Amino acid sequence: MTSHLQTLSQQLVEMAKISGACEADAMAVADTGESIRVRNGKVESVEREDAQGVGLRVFVEQATAQGTGLAFASASTSDVSETGLKLLVKQVMEMARISEPDPDAVPPTGANHPTRKELDAWTERHTVDASWNTEAAKQAALTCEDAALSFSDKITNSEGAEAGFGMVRVAYASADGFAAAYEKSSAALSASVIAGAGDGMQRDYAWDRKRSANALRAPEAIGREASERTLRRLGASSMDGGAMTVVFEPRVAASIPGHLISAINGRAVLQQRSFLADQKGKHIFPDFMRIVDDPDHPQGLGNRLFDGEGTRCRPMTIIDHGALSGFLADRYAARRLGSTPTGHASRGLTGDISIGTSNLILEAGHQTVENILHEIGNGLLVTELIGFGVNGVTGDYSRGASGFLIENGKLSRPVQEITIAGNLKDMFANISHLGDDLTWFGSSAVPTVAITGMTVAGQG
Amino acid sequence: MTLAIPSSTLNKMLNAMIPAGADDADLYLQHSQSESMALEEGRVKHVSSSTHQGIGARVVKGEAAGHAYTDRLEPAALMEAATAARTIAEGKQNNAPVAIHSSKPAHALYRPENPAMAASMHERKNLLERLDTLARGIDPRVVQVFANVSASFSDIHIIRMDGAHLHDARPLVRLNISVVVEQDGRRETGGAGGGGRFGLDRMLQGEEAERLTREAVRIALLNLDAVAAPAGPMPVVLGPGWPGILLHEAIGHGLEGDFNRKGTSAFAGRIGEQVAAKGITVVDDGTISERRGSLNFDDEGTDTHRTVLIEDGILTGYLQDKQNARLMGMAPTGNGRRESYAHPVLPRMTNTFMLAGHDTPDDILASLERGIYAVNFGGGQVDITSGKFVFTTSEAYLVENGEIKAPVKGATLIGDGPSVLKKVSMIGNDLALDPGVGTCGKDGQSVPVGVGLPTIRIDELIVGGAEI
Repeated sequence: MTSHLQTLSQQLVEMAKISGACEADAMAVADTGESIRVRNGKVESVEREDAQGVGLRVFVEQATAQGTGLAFASASTSDVSETGLKLLVKQVMEMARISEPDPDAVPPTGANHPTRKELDAWTERHTVDASWNTEAAKQAALTCEDAALSFSDKITNSEGAEAGFGMVRVAYASADGFAAAYEKSSAALSASVIAGAGDGMQRDYAWDRKRSANALRAPEAIGREASERTLRRLGASSMDGGAMTVVFEPRVAASIPGHLISAINGRAVLQQRSFLADQKGKHIFPDFMRIVDDPDHPQGLGNRLFDGEGTRCRPMTIIDHGALSGFLADRYAARRLGSTPTGHASRGLTGDISIGTSNLILEAGHQTVENILHEIGNGLLVTELIGFGVNGVTGDYSRGASGFLIENGKLSRPVQEITIAGNLKDMFANISHLGDDLTWFGSSAVPTVAITGMTVAGQG
Repeated sequence: MTLAIPSSTLNKMLNAMIPAGADDADLYLQHSQSESMALEEGRVKHVSSSTHQGIGARVVKGEAAGHAYTDRLEPAALMEAATAARTIAEGKQNNAPVAIHSSKPAHALYRPENPAMAASMHERKNLLERLDTLARGIDPRVVQVFANVSASFSDIHIIRMDGAHLHDARPLVRLNISVVVEQDGRRETGGAGGGGRFGLDRMLQGEEAERLTREAVRIALLNLDAVAAPAGPMPVVLGPGWPGILLHEAIGHGLEGDFNRKGTSAFAGRIGEQVAAKGITVVDDGTISERRGSLNFDDEGTDTHRTVLIEDGILTGYLQDKQNARLMGMAPTGNGRRESYAHPVLPRMTNTFMLAGHDTPDDILASLERGIYAVNFGGGQVDITSGKFVFTTSEAYLVENGEIKAPVKGATLIGDGPSVLKKVSMIGNDLALDPGVGTCGKDGQSVPVGVGLPTIRIDELIVGGAEI
């Protein structure tokens, strides 16, 4: 299957060259999977996917006032018949000819590709797992939901439990002869339940997602967690606002390194769309902080040997002793920033390269959460964030939240209908505590994070 | 209306996938083509296109639904999908042959033509370059301009369980401008966009593209002077148009049939109750010509409707697809939507708005002793179970004694869906629909939607500013 995709991607690159492209790269993907949702002990839905597609990026030489330059375009299709491929090449060449040459455009040719030996070793080590079938997934979902519903009489309703499994196969080829393919399996299990009634109704959920069904937490544990999380929210109301320390549970703390990554995206930096554009080398976090991107981690779902331009991926310490080591760059951003590509080029089937991490890890601290709450005394523990109130250009931050009031070093009562606000630059600098509870969420891992001096708005 | 698959094959699929006692089943064939062109740093350098074609097979029985799709339009893959769709139901297949026959939709709300054809790539490029020049010419503080024009065309065939075959061709265009401005080291952004179900030529003619560009620059420059928004509960006046996202988040999602059938929405079982102040009427209308959220029929082939959700403050209806309507003993409202053949059907909004009242916008603003006047927003989100919703301002002002004091930085407003509309004390006579930019997300599926609102005063919302 993957060799078929690799041939397809190579074939597309050849077709593009014959049509006049001076450079090209192509991707071919195939996604298959199933997900089964059960609700109140019965199957509610079965979904099955069988997707395929190819994407092609071409570069053509064009005359400019300064000589010649490279212009590019990209196109994708799910029609991989010969007619479909021919149409794709025709379209993308037309678009490239209309596109404006960019003096800094860098084709994928000559990227720092992994060697054949490295590719083979990777494939051998990263085996795929397809231990679930429809029936096994269904049983896991049933067990998971049953554990959630039988946890307490106070659980009044169910949004169901869902189990899914799938395989994604990706091939990449570029005009310099580099071609590679890989496959990745994944399995996921989640449950969501409701407690209370009328105005007092509350819902929460629990989930896990791993490369293999065998690596998932037990269905019973996920179900119980969903119920525990829901029950502890019962009776939530708003609270008095003010300046205070806000503690982010790992689930919501994962957004903090996420905001960092958006702001150190080399392309955003070039375009002055980032509040960290002039912060390379600066201490933007406290000394005790370390954030790494690890493309080969036993726990991570984001493992990869090469990025969307065929550049070999390597571990990178993004934040070292609180200092920003550099920006994340694809080949284009690296050329303009005068740096080296960091292996963070991310591309879908169509559109331009974007920047993306592999497995992003905010390293844990040494304190238990209990200890952190004790040291903080009074504040807010946030367990859920909603809304999109983050401005990447200014760093201004304002989001809806719910969680628990911290009083005298302990969680006192559930709160909701509140907002937390600040500026990311200050929030990064004002991190006061890191928990010892590193938690994985697919391709990122974070502990509990406490930030001093945030503004909470509510109505006491 | 040519089909990419012979109708004999479709017939075979349909016959193989319908189990005994099935309540519903359909095949959804789609071919969609999208083109996008983007300008940044003064150059048109991102041109792309994508083509998707595939088929979704769906079987509904009781509370269960099976859905399988494939991009591979070869007989073996198609039969595999048909068989997978029926795994939800036991029992023998229904061998009664179904004859596929053409069925006519009630509406023709947009031209069934590829909107990209109405403007050549050169014309699109010229447009983006013109807008770049315009933006930079308005003010020297404009340091970056991003402009994007896109067009998509989706050709859809639905074959229903009884063999009825419906065809729709859905155009959709969109223009977006955003700018970065800089002054004394401070950078801010502003953006504007518009679109709908019409040809791209519409974005090229007239002054709309220019107006959006001026709007983006105006908002960015305004933000250079923005002060931190206040924090805490206070009265809020919402301007007309896109602030209608309030309705989408606060009540729209909570009125979707699936959540109400399952009793997971804060609005469940409240039909007939007063959920809004007297004078408030909210509708969801999928039948407005050329609007972004409009459809000739929904993705189950049900004609779209104008559904009254709240009438004079009383909750009167839910948004329904066929399955949830049947299970609740109600009629489908034409709100069964799916992002594509690769996604299951869910009850979704179309164009959701509040009807106009009698107050003038000036009187409403003048009534504000101290509060926020918010005229534009970014995105929003809702927890349908607790009813708490948020939306974030992108253009807002601090108002004292009815007068605008200063622009404020983007702040998230949070409220409670089932009670927020009871706090509306004034309704403007200036209903406006949004410019055609809304995209709604649910269960990982995105669909285009519209919203609308007259100027309204809400006596209390919590404003999530950074200023204590």
